[in-house]
Amino acid sequence: MSETSLKPRLTSGETDWYENELPRVIRPYRSHPLRTLTAIALVLVLASLLGISSAYLVIEREQPLDAVTIGPWQAYPKAGTAEADPYSVAIYTRGAVIPLASGEGLALVARQDSNGHQLDPTCVYRIAGQTPSARLWTLTAVNGRGDLVETLPGRVHVVSQNILRAPDGTFEIAAAAAPHSGNWLPLAAGASASDGLRFVLRLYDAPVTTGAALDGVSMPVIERTGCP
Amino acid sequence: MSLSPRFTLTVGILATLCLAAVIHILVVLSIPRNVQHSAYDNIATYGTDRKFNLLPDVKRGQEALPDLDPAMKHATCRFQLADGPVLFDASIPVSFWSIGLFNAAGEAVYSLNNRTAGAERLSMLVLTTQQLSILRENPPENLEDLIVIETPEPISGFALLRAFVPHSSKADEVDLALRAARCGTI
Repeated sequence: MSETSLKPRLTSGETDWYENELPRVIRPYRSHPLRTLTAIALVLVLASLLGISSAYLVIEREQPLDAVTIGPWQAYPKAGTAEADPYSVAIYTRGAVIPLASGEGLALVARQDSNGHQLDPTCVYRIAGQTPSARLWTLTAVNGRGDLVETLPGRVHVVSQNILRAPDGTFEIAAAAAPHSGNWLPLAAGASASDGLRFVLRLYDAPVTTGAALDGVSMPVIERTGCP
Repeated sequence: MSLSPRFTLTVGILATLCLAAVIHILVVLSIPRNVQHSAYDNIATYGTDRKFNLLPDVKRGQEALPDLDPAMKHATCRFQLADGPVLFDASIPVSFWSIGLFNAAGEAVYSLNNRTAGAERLSMLVLTTQQLSILRENPPENLEDLIVIETPEPISGFALLRAFVPHSSKADEVDLALRAARCGTI
């Protein structure tokens, strides 16, 4: 630190005592009320925008954070319980969704196929394999917002009791808008790719209603077999 | 004292981020308290409280509540334990049915299905600890056969009864059974 830089030059009298040659820290502070106010307002507005929009985006995605993922399937065993995280609570109460309680069963949702591509209602999918043991299960096709859709035969689901199985207990379901032989899960007739598609597998009276029990269970694969 | 522009900018950005985080958390936490139509409110539009009301079939465009299974038929009953204990009684002749009890916030309080109920008939009594001790002084004779669920607080809530329809020919039978289901005082 040099002596000269700290002191105002003697030649310049007291009139220019706030000259810029003083180091910044000890330079006398002149307040700019308007500038300070603008800065505070800017911080407030930006913070509100950022906070509200990020909260909106997370809630609008409608995917609770504490998901258990098995292949393309996701389950939220804690949804609708007192242990649910605040995001799931917000998502579920906002949608007025009544989840399957643990004594009833477990719902698993697929938004992507086994290769990680978004599901598309105009494509044909093959859902094959096994489900965890359950007394009854249903597989439903809904659109990207979770609403039921119009299909050719009117039904939008298949039930475990009515499907054809291979001798080893595995099954194969064709999900398509046009009729298929064997097990057919009808998809939306005349849908466009932007409508979105989700498969919802509901296992009723299943022992796997807790998250820990879901590790290592076999779930059906979802393969895209064709697209227009 | 005055600060360098770069320092001021850093402080400004940090302040914005911290404030944004606080606002984000407040918004997320305040959503459940500010929803206009919770499941508890929506159910009231399908009939009076303390009575099982059959929900319309789960079909496109007329879903009573989001995310219901189209393979099932549903009935709901809203109750307030402050008005007295609630007895659920139903006999549904299908291979699967289940009932979930939820509080007004939509959190599951208790749930069971026809296998865990241990009997073909559902008979379940929901009451507060205080109401149970009053009831024990003069117990009804079938108290032993009931599934008794005690809650520490007199909660308001609803029950959702789900019944599997194996085939459309069974639909009328399930409808009748759900309509005949009781949800009321002992």
